[in-house]
Amino acid sequence: MTTVEISSGQLIAGYGLLLFPIVIFLWHSVPLLSSTFTSVLRMTVQLLFIGFYLEYLFLWNNIWLNAAWIAVMVLVADASIVKGCGLRLRLFWFPLALALSVGVLIPLFFLVLMIIRPAPLFDARYVVPIAGMILGNCLRADIVGIHGFYNALRKNEKVYFHSLSCGARLREAIHPFLREALNAALAPTIATMATMGVVSLPGMMTGVILGGADPVTAIKYQIAIMLAIFSGTAITVTVGIYLTLPISFTAFGILKHEIFAANNR
Amino acid sequence: MKQDEILCIRNLSVQLSTASLFDALSLQLNRRDKLTITGPSGSGKSTLLRCILGFVPFAGEISVQGVAVNGRKIWGLRPQLAYVAQEPELGEGRVREILMRPFSFQANQHLRFCEEEASQLLERFNLSDSFLDQEITSLSGGEKQRIALIAALLLKRPILLLDEAASALDATTKLLIRDYLADQKDLAILSVSHDIHHFVFDNPIYRLADGSLKREQQ
Repeated sequence: MTTVEISSGQLIAGYGLLLFPIVIFLWHSVPLLSSTFTSVLRMTVQLLFIGFYLEYLFLWNNIWLNAAWIAVMVLVADASIVKGCGLRLRLFWFPLALALSVGVLIPLFFLVLMIIRPAPLFDARYVVPIAGMILGNCLRADIVGIHGFYNALRKNEKVYFHSLSCGARLREAIHPFLREALNAALAPTIATMATMGVVSLPGMMTGVILGGADPVTAIKYQIAIMLAIFSGTAITVTVGIYLTLPISFTAFGILKHEIFAANNR
Repeated sequence: MKQDEILCIRNLSVQLSTASLFDALSLQLNRRDKLTITGPSGSGKSTLLRCILGFVPFAGEISVQGVAVNGRKIWGLRPQLAYVAQEPELGEGRVREILMRPFSFQANQHLRFCEEEASQLLERFNLSDSFLDQEITSLSGGEKQRIALIAALLLKRPILLLDEAASALDATTKLLIRDYLADQKDLAILSVSHDIHHFVFDNPIYRLADGSLKREQQ
């Protein structure tokens, strides 16, 4: 089975669907018009660029080029996480990039080396999209988890001080905040897994089916990628919090307020 | 260090954005001492207690049982201290869980939570033991203060730091708690209080004003 091609004209016609949200926004005076136009424009330009780039990435299929592209994706996601968490980029970019790399590479290698085993092993067609899917979810989870962790600590400093005054070590005093952060970051993926196939047909599965594969293959890929996403998000949030502890607390175990970005103080 | 000395503060100052809060403040607390500090709002009474706990950066010297408070030693010194904050926030959950939680900390592994003792303290402080099953967030300010005090007492620390620990209580309950604490012979107490009528101990009373401590005439 071959995929039905979408012509440029047909794609442009697809933008007609924007008419409905635009009319709704205008009708209800929802102030989302300009951000809608900006986001649609960004999505189009970014995807056109990546489509063009991926064509060459797949054509050359060079392991170092693939690795370099994944590194670029990690760094862009990293900057977005630090900004989304309201933390200072200068302090947090390195530990969070490391946490993101660990969170993406462990499930990626597990999937590629143990489950899918394509030939060649680091085939761009497998490695780059799978890394992208794990990374996208890690980005969301990191913003929810790490932002939640540091902001909850700042808001509930008295509770944290109470634990310290009762003799808690840093690891023990942050434990309730870490537990809440992980809960908030991972609960959406758990809920998605629970309803998958019944409520939603996920994007990857739809893509694989549209790409000509049979539904059973698509399901196997979807299960594998969901497990990789869940594992990656759990790793990146936990490692991210632990790696940022030394820069976020004084030797006395007090949260440094200067870790927050100027617009988040 | 003198044999009886349990807490010693020398030449303490805390740098605020514009000025220094204390003027080379010094204070000594001996075993079994029950010392009260009064003073106007903003004079730094709470900050003084928070310095001892290592919650506020300071210059000068604070030592607990002869060991200087610094970033390395504070983790071993906090288990010598118990602290009741003015408006205690103890986390979420039922009172029993709140009281039990500190016993899971490594520093308190040698202690065991005794529910009977907690019930006795509740009764002693005019609270029934049904409070153990109540959600901490549903309690009033005065009830929370008493739960925080019970949490501190259950840890059996040699030094108790009280920051306006009875400010939300009525006069009768204040006196009740003051008398109970005064009877704890082995306990050293450093209490910060506005209320010099109902919540003050018989040992020296100091007044903190303009950055320094002055002993009050009793």
